[in-house]
Amino acid sequence: MANIFRSRIRASLADENLQSALDANAERRIRVRKDAFASLSDSNALRERAHAVRAEVVEHLDSYLEQFTTHVQKNGMVVHHAIDADQAIRVVQEIALQHGAKLIAKSKTMISEEIGLNHALEKRGFEVIETDLGEYIVQLRGEPPSHIITPAVHLRRQDVGRLFQEKLGLPYTEDISIMTNAARRTLRQVFLNADIGISGVNFGVAQTGTLCVVTNEGNGRMVTTIPRVHIALMGIERLVPTMDDLSLMLNLLPRSATGQKLSVYTNLLNSPRRSEDPDGPQERHIILVDNGRRDVQASGLREILYCIRCGSCLNACPVFREIGGHAYVNLLGKSSPYPGPIGSVLSPALFGQLEYGHLARASSMCGACREACPVDIDLPKLLLRVRTGIQSTQAESNSKPNAPVPLAVGLKLFTFAASSPWRFAVAQRLAGLFGSIATFFSKGDPWLRLPDFSGWGSSKDFPRPASRTFRDRYQKQTQSLQGANDQIALSGKAQAVRSEIVGTGSIRTSKGIGDFATELKSLGGNFISCELDGVPQNILEILRVRGIDQLLVWEASFLPDGLIEQLTDAGIRISHPTAETQETSSLVRAGLTGASAGIADTGSLLLLGGPGRPLTASLLPELHIALLWEKDVFENLSQVLQREDVKQSPAAVLITGPSRTADIEMALTIGVHGPGELHVICIKTG
Amino acid sequence: MMDTVQLFVTCIIDTLYPETGEAVVRVLHKAGVNVSFPPGQTCCGQPAFNAGLRQQARKMAIQTIRAFEAYPGPVVVPSGSCAAMIRHSYSELFVDDPIWLLPATALAERTYEFSEYLVDVLGITNLEAGFEGRMTYHSSCHLLRGLGVDRQPRALLAAVRNAELVELPETGDCCGFGGVFSIEHPEISAAMLDRKIKNLEASGASIMVACDAGCVTNINGGLHRRHKSQRAVHIAEILDKP
Repeated sequence: MANIFRSRIRASLADENLQSALDANAERRIRVRKDAFASLSDSNALRERAHAVRAEVVEHLDSYLEQFTTHVQKNGMVVHHAIDADQAIRVVQEIALQHGAKLIAKSKTMISEEIGLNHALEKRGFEVIETDLGEYIVQLRGEPPSHIITPAVHLRRQDVGRLFQEKLGLPYTEDISIMTNAARRTLRQVFLNADIGISGVNFGVAQTGTLCVVTNEGNGRMVTTIPRVHIALMGIERLVPTMDDLSLMLNLLPRSATGQKLSVYTNLLNSPRRSEDPDGPQERHIILVDNGRRDVQASGLREILYCIRCGSCLNACPVFREIGGHAYVNLLGKSSPYPGPIGSVLSPALFGQLEYGHLARASSMCGACREACPVDIDLPKLLLRVRTGIQSTQAESNSKPNAPVPLAVGLKLFTFAASSPWRFAVAQRLAGLFGSIATFFSKGDPWLRLPDFSGWGSSKDFPRPASRTFRDRYQKQTQSLQGANDQIALSGKAQAVRSEIVGTGSIRTSKGIGDFATELKSLGGNFISCELDGVPQNILEILRVRGIDQLLVWEASFLPDGLIEQLTDAGIRISHPTAETQETSSLVRAGLTGASAGIADTGSLLLLGGPGRPLTASLLPELHIALLWEKDVFENLSQVLQREDVKQSPAAVLITGPSRTADIEMALTIGVHGPGELHVICIKTG
Repeated sequence: MMDTVQLFVTCIIDTLYPETGEAVVRVLHKAGVNVSFPPGQTCCGQPAFNAGLRQQARKMAIQTIRAFEAYPGPVVVPSGSCAAMIRHSYSELFVDDPIWLLPATALAERTYEFSEYLVDVLGITNLEAGFEGRMTYHSSCHLLRGLGVDRQPRALLAAVRNAELVELPETGDCCGFGGVFSIEHPEISAAMLDRKIKNLEASGASIMVACDAGCVTNINGGLHRRHKSQRAVHIAEILDKP
């Protein structure tokens, strides 16, 4: 029995702050997820499709990996294969040494937690800084993340206030926006000075060699855009075959993770900066990490590889809600990088049954995890398989159930008794006799107080076994019922069953600009509709009230004719950001860009990077103005991801509202690393 | 001629709650079916299965399959988790066993949970039962998520005369039983039970109805230890009341 695990559980249960944080997390996450799924017309069909897509990829992993690798290389990225954690770390190190790197900026990636990348790099003298707010907080505290989506879910604002006071010199505050701002200022310098940016990958698209990285705060855009080298770490199973499959997954991932229709930024990365591009990293590396996944693929736990790391099984799990992520420890007391139901299967699968198998026993098999899973992984089935002692790692050879010895002995005895009706009847009689004696001594109390070591007795009483079992009483009852048979006639007879079909979602109404505007506003964005000649006035008005006289702007050919001249004439200083001017561009408060498309369903904008269209203009400033033509508003994500130019630009981004975080106490805070204000000027076409 | 159903009463009801078993028989009679009790039955094997002891679980599954082999017709189980065990988990147990997979599947196909059988097969919702007071319904995990049965017990309870049926907050949340889980991880189990009891108190009901004797045992054990007056009861006991 994993005693450290038990003591961690007790500590979690006794920690009132943690308990209230976990309750708040569960209540909020379950609710927002439900609301977000209500906007899908048939979420069950989507889940089934998503399950099938993931099953297909995992089944034919090698062929999809080959296809993906070919396209990624064709796109100009460098592919590395790492069999295990050591190899992956070595690749990162070699790239870092080649570039004489000192500072490395990271966005949140679970696989780097899995391979222990930060620690290994720090040991070799690199400075590694996490830039996701929650991850930054736990890094400053010297802790691992406690949730795969919200790493600091276990902390309260007071904890963060004290931490920032100590580590950043920020005067103590409980104001989350002040803390967020302090992190923004500190981390902005990290983005600008980092030699290397490291990110994870949410999905790799095999057909196009595209890396999809989603982020809300904007740090995932920063680390993949600003430093001169970008390294993406990716588990080999995180592939989807096509852009259409990607669109399916993007319908499910953010809804499940944070209750959003889309994350604020959905980055689609195809290539490094080409000679004609204004910004982006000079090199993009992708490290495909196996670290035990092929063994899992060949095992009875294969289905766990379908996981898309949304964290919704953690939020739904009543056990996670009681004990929190840090309590999921191995035999030696080390927290698993993957807590909750997913982790209780994935950790033993990847890191060994012996050290992590006990985690799968901490589940009541209630099935809430499977219900919450957007790709319908049968987690209860897999948890039960782990309990049988199933192996996927080659290092271990014994395969026997991981049940504690007393329980196994008890159940073997029970099985011996219950595998014969007469032995069972004898056992029942003995139990009944014991019950009667106990009742006699307790003066008629029908409840037994079992000893604490039984597990049951510590918090509950147990009903006294009946002195006469059902099977003893059945014969007599049947005889009496036979006699009464004729009298029984149900007056209502068979009533029709009410078979209401409950809530399959509404039929879509007409899509269009109105929907786009509504969605955008609900995200905290500003929507302005005007004729072409009203554009300069609207821009100037936004800048004037904020006292801004400087703009980062796309090249004139990607904006309405004469717009730049009109802005210049009005006294606005215009600059076109490039990779070389990032430091000074970062001081400019506003950016003006076009947009290739809008998505009515989600209120998103599509921005394609490439010559004349620096993506940094929509990333570095605190305010972003985007010009969108009415004719470019599409109904849904799928239509937009099908466009050829999405695959051809070096990097593209879907922007869904102003940058945001909810990493401290899940309080929504607008404006983190990306712009805190988003204004979309929609130009009437007609 | 009345149809006959085979009752799989489950080891918990057999040993701990014979009155509940008798209520199940009476309610089925009221609904117009004969009840037969195949004597070879003991336990479906869920405890061993949940503990990871597949060998023992297979033994119990075979015992159960054999017990019902000679008894044709629907098998009615007054427990969501035992019904789910037979319907979904037997195929997992015998996935590599061509000899037992077929009879296991055959048994799974004719197995119904009690409320599911009444409503979906017999088409009955009104059993002419009466109950004075406020009650609430706990959606047991394996019944709700394993079998997808929820509307059926609710329909049966909605038809109970004079009863005031109120919604239980977080009704689908686990009560903390989970079979062997409750004794392997008593601390977590107790914390989950505390939340269930808090929700029961918030509902204002004096009776919490469930379709699983496992949940009933866990919840009542906790209520009694905490000196609470509310009680959990099996749905058959409510439907049995005249």
